[in-house]
Amino acid sequence: MAPIKIPFGPQHPALKEPESFNLVLEGEQIIDTEVKLGYNHRGIEKACESRNITQCIYLIERICGICSHSHSTAFTKAVEEIAAIEAPPRAQYIRTIVAELERIHSHLLWLGVAAHEVGFDTLFMYAWRDREVVMDLLALITGNRINYGMNTVGGVRRDIDSGQAKQVLESIRILVERTNYYLNVAINESIFKARLSGVGKLPQETALRLGAVGPTARASGIARDIRKDDPYAAYDQVGFKVVTDEQADIFGRTMVRVYELLESYRMIRELTEGLPEGPIAVKAPRKIPAGESVSRYEAPRGENIHYVRTNGTEIPERVKVRAPTLANLASIREMAKGGFLADFPIIIAAIDPCFSCADRMIRISGDRRGELWNWEQLRDYSIKWYQQRGVDLSHMG
Amino acid sequence: MSGEKVANWINQQLEARNVSVPRERRVVAEIAPLKLVESIRMLKEMGMNNIGTITGLDLGDRFELIYHLSNDDGVLLNLKTFIARENPRIPSVTAVFPGVFFYERELMDLFGILVEGIPEGRRYPLPDDWPEGEYPLRKDWKGLSADKGVTVDGAN
Amino acid sequence: MDLVVRLVYMLIFPGFLFLVFYGMACDWVDRKLYARFQNRVGPPWFQPLADFIKLLSKEEIIPEAANQNMFRVLPVVALAAALTSFLYIPVWDLTAFYSFPADLVVVFYLLTIPTLAFFLAGWNSTSLFAALGSLRTLIQLFAYEVPLLIVLMGPALLAGTWTISEISAFFVQNPSLLGVNVIGLVVALVAIQGKLERRPFDIADAETEVVGGTFTEFSGRLLAIIHLVVNIEMVVLASLISAIFLGGSFGLGPIWGFILYLFKTLFIVTLLTLLKTLVARLRLEQMMKFCWKYLAPAALFQLLINIVVKAFLV
Repeated sequence: MAPIKIPFGPQHPALKEPESFNLVLEGEQIIDTEVKLGYNHRGIEKACESRNITQCIYLIERICGICSHSHSTAFTKAVEEIAAIEAPPRAQYIRTIVAELERIHSHLLWLGVAAHEVGFDTLFMYAWRDREVVMDLLALITGNRINYGMNTVGGVRRDIDSGQAKQVLESIRILVERTNYYLNVAINESIFKARLSGVGKLPQETALRLGAVGPTARASGIARDIRKDDPYAAYDQVGFKVVTDEQADIFGRTMVRVYELLESYRMIRELTEGLPEGPIAVKAPRKIPAGESVSRYEAPRGENIHYVRTNGTEIPERVKVRAPTLANLASIREMAKGGFLADFPIIIAAIDPCFSCADRMIRISGDRRGELWNWEQLRDYSIKWYQQRGVDLSHMG
Repeated sequence: MSGEKVANWINQQLEARNVSVPRERRVVAEIAPLKLVESIRMLKEMGMNNIGTITGLDLGDRFELIYHLSNDDGVLLNLKTFIARENPRIPSVTAVFPGVFFYERELMDLFGILVEGIPEGRRYPLPDDWPEGEYPLRKDWKGLSADKGVTVDGAN
Repeated sequence: MDLVVRLVYMLIFPGFLFLVFYGMACDWVDRKLYARFQNRVGPPWFQPLADFIKLLSKEEIIPEAANQNMFRVLPVVALAAALTSFLYIPVWDLTAFYSFPADLVVVFYLLTIPTLAFFLAGWNSTSLFAALGSLRTLIQLFAYEVPLLIVLMGPALLAGTWTISEISAFFVQNPSLLGVNVIGLVVALVAIQGKLERRPFDIADAETEVVGGTFTEFSGRLLAIIHLVVNIEMVVLASLISAIFLGGSFGLGPIWGFILYLFKTLFIVTLLTLLKTLVARLRLEQMMKFCWKYLAPAALFQLLINIVVKAFLV
């Protein structure tokens, strides 16, 4: 059979966002991959050049739905460095707690997506059910399930009170239990393991050459973790291990993420218990003095780089964002070569791609309704909505 | 290697100007565009084993390019170079760091800087039929005029 | 009068109409159980019927490059084959309505026709994903068909006949021999997952890999028929397994026999759902390896046991 070219995207069930990969196939084997990106380019960097710093925080937070806190933290960190102000310790702790909660939600989401890509829908459903635990926690602390709006120049906008802290510890206890169970499943479920082991190999040397970051690099044995290398927020005050793995395949990447979950639980527990007293923000000037700063941040997917240059006005001169997906994309071709078509979805999924991060666009949501609903009201509404259609969800808690 | 050591090394080994250490683990240096690839190759051998990204800036009269290199000890070096705004061109560093491909494509699409020696590939991040001579991140770009528009993004 | 009975048998009960609704019921049981196993709520009882009606009302789009007649006819061919095969399987009685010597072989090959029709349908759709999916369908066929045939031979060998009704009757007379075929039952259940293209063998229509697979280009009524065929195939296979490995209705008379039939088929559907819940999807080459390395030898081993049992005990 002659090689055939399969369009994998821009619209494809395995891709959660529009990006295009053209696969050259010989039978079921992938000979080459052609990547076409940019479908999500929204011009956020340009848009930042016409907004003041405060507006920029909210714009930048919307680069990505999953790692919104990482982008806003990286940006505020850069601005704080230029303005020579430092967020108070309590703010740093809260930032770190939210960051780790975000990592947990992102990794659990990834676990579900990865399981779905290899057709293990049961794990997908379980992982996403437990992700709700951490989503509820984030909603409790920040008021939002995603795009938390926690950061501001000079600190954070919401405090964690003792009741919330108690809830955090309680939820973490549940999550630890569940994650240990998933670890057990990932190690012992033979078909799941057979689908992941030896697939999408990325040897250490190749990963280094192509500049891989985050769990992708760490699964290839590169101990690259900004939280350790270039500590920010409260990471220098909390103990944790950089999880690496030598298997350099997708199974290794799964292991790295699952063990990172366990590390995150430990960190959150330590941070919540040792939350220092004090204010949660210091006052920041509206006009930031001229200067430049590069801020690095270990997002769930890898290193985020934000470069900010200011010119003494309220409006930044230049904001540059490098999301981790862009750094890992170069590795996709290497990982896919010689693999099977059946493995391609999981190979893409294994870098945990976030194309809207990479392309940086904005999404415009629909009309805002004139009412304010709280969490319980929303929940009741959805239960009623389903009840009218014959599905009873009320016993699901 | 700490920031100070990196700065010292640059002072001794490279023809760099304005080398400074603004804070712990941050180094800034300026280099001539002609020396760029050679300097980056030497830096890589010295241990700056990753390029995080390349930032382009439009200064009005010229372009500034910042190569963000980092090493395993968390030191980030901002290697700056300046090029003319007329016929801007810069050599590609893909020979040293193949992973910078997408960052150099960004410079080409968003600033209109010609990167010499970059491997063949699809454009990124703008659509395939983006009009010629429109470079969004230049300071004098105010958006596409009504007669120029993007209709169809080549599907293959 | 005989003609009326025959027509009722073929078209209403337990033929076409019963199969359609029982197929949907099994589909609902499958989906509901799958959902409950996964901690989801699952669809209401009328969901398969609603899906069917919805698809009937949808627009039919046929690719211009495809052979129009083939495209329309193939799903119907598959449906006809699946319906026909059911006529030879006993439901409430020990003998099927239509039964002739060696009908097991005929049923087996009739059940292959839907698979081949799907292959042709996918290949004829002139879509890349459908072509890939149909190729996968065909390759899968070679993997599960052999073990399935071998394990079906086991009970036939023991009973000394190739007629489904007689095999059923044999086990009713010798219920203790049912235990001999446990390995065979397991192999058959796994192979059926392949035949029905369900997890872990849903390779041909794995949405994350080949989008809609074989049926990418199908829509509207034709897709509704295809879904129907898959549901009916599930009922037919469950009935076949029940008749061959579990002694069918056990000669309890029409009413209790029918209840026992429902119970056994639903039990088999439950087992299939449980299997689907517990595993991830295999790769094509992993499936080939699994079927030839484990499934086929297990089937052969079962056959060997049956030969020994037959030689010394029966």
